[in-house]
Amino acid sequence: MAFNVTEILEIPLGIGEITLENILYFTVVLTVGVIIAKIVAINVRRILAERLPKNESELFAKLIYYIIIIWAFVIALPQLKFDLSGLLVAGGVAGLVIGFASQSVVSNLISGLFLMFERPIKLGDNINVADVTGSVEDVRILSTVIKTYDGIYIRIPNEKVFTSNITNYVHNAARRFTYEIRIRYEDDADAAIRIAREVIEKHPFALKNPAPSVFVDNFGEHSVNLTAYIWAPARNWWDVRTDLLWKIKQALEENGIEIPIPQRTVRFVDGLEGKNRGVETNRGEE
Amino acid sequence: MFGRYRDTFHQESGDIMVETGSVDGLLTYRRRCEGRTFERILVSKTGEIVINPVEPGSLPKDITDLLMMEFPPMMIEPGATQTVYLKFPVEIGVFIESARDIEVLDIFGLGNQKYTLYGPPADGVIALYCRSAIYPDIPPVEFYREGVMELSIQNLSLEWMEVSCAVFNSVDMMIYYGDFVATSATMRVLSRTLAETDFVDAPLRPGMEKAVELNKARKIPVLNRGHLMEWGH
Repeated sequence: MAFNVTEILEIPLGIGEITLENILYFTVVLTVGVIIAKIVAINVRRILAERLPKNESELFAKLIYYIIIIWAFVIALPQLKFDLSGLLVAGGVAGLVIGFASQSVVSNLISGLFLMFERPIKLGDNINVADVTGSVEDVRILSTVIKTYDGIYIRIPNEKVFTSNITNYVHNAARRFTYEIRIRYEDDADAAIRIAREVIEKHPFALKNPAPSVFVDNFGEHSVNLTAYIWAPARNWWDVRTDLLWKIKQALEENGIEIPIPQRTVRFVDGLEGKNRGVETNRGEE
Repeated sequence: MFGRYRDTFHQESGDIMVETGSVDGLLTYRRRCEGRTFERILVSKTGEIVINPVEPGSLPKDITDLLMMEFPPMMIEPGATQTVYLKFPVEIGVFIESARDIEVLDIFGLGNQKYTLYGPPADGVIALYCRSAIYPDIPPVEFYREGVMELSIQNLSLEWMEVSCAVFNSVDMMIYYGDFVATSATMRVLSRTLAETDFVDAPLRPGMEKAVELNKARKIPVLNRGHLMEWGH
């Protein structure tokens, strides 16, 4: 007796016109879809492991996994003699509605993905974005969380972060800050510059290179104004800035150089006599 | 002062005092160094205190792993190799060790540290800065303040090269101590801007003892890959 595989595959199963071949084809497509989905999800998880928090990379991997399975299911479905045209019409209408409803969500999602790959900000960075200044606590799929220096939690939608100017204060390893130091006109500016340089030189985090710069910048109304440019590690600059200023002030005062108190010298046209005469005149009128 | 101690001990040398003793019935570790003090209560029956020199860069705050050694410029002809000796700053690490674990208890050091930027402000990296003269032989050093670095510089390029600094990843640093603190390093000059630096795991003199490394105590896995200097030398 001859054994014909083709005939066996074409035997109807009694459910409409579905044959064994249809069932096998449906199963194979779905199995291949599941395998592809698993491989893609594993790789997505691995790629995103360092870029996203674990819960978000897991969510993203699952999303891709199910999209691929649905795609395989839609491809395999005609084998079960299922008419997809009705589904497509319904899906089209539903897609339109969902599209309008989730416009901002998708926009935030896409912005979040761009932020994750472009990486203008990282966790712990001190930034200013959309008029919010603080440190980055989390970069999520839809939003970025910032903790302000007052300890306030602020969630900014990723679309806003992506389209705003981002100032990242710690992106570069070092940053410069400036002091304006005022001394009296009678003080020795050269000595003040030398003393300030010595204090800066002693501070471990006032960088050796780029070298600090201290110079007479301008002559003020009451003071000679010195300017100091100092470079510090970007993540420590605030500590250095607050620490050094007081040390410079103390060192200057120890050497007799003081910060001037604003004062004005008034000269009378005819000396003090004019003033006394005025007083006498006033008394006479009384 | 370097070595292993059990129970109570007292070590003093110049401006440094390290001891463990009983304070109000509690075993307490105490350290004084140039006026700065540190104190920690120890709850231990089997623990040992280990004191040895450690790789620099933890003081006053651990902000970088890089160490920049600056020295007078030297011109090296193509293909030439020269071994020189430099002085590098030493920090002192105090570890507490039991049969199962070792932990950093304290890090201190003499003198002031200074940090610098190696490279341009936009891409550069922060490094601990140290300036040294160049010595043809092992120079005398202040034991607790300085160590000796044997640096073998090799010019692998086809041009004369001026070398005046070397940047190392101090995580890779292997320190040995005996009569003095020492480490060995290599520098391979590749071009005008590129050079590779690395440390050699070998004592400078026979009989020197290997120091416990900070990263080992901190359980930070280290792949000794050296450091690539990308912004000149």
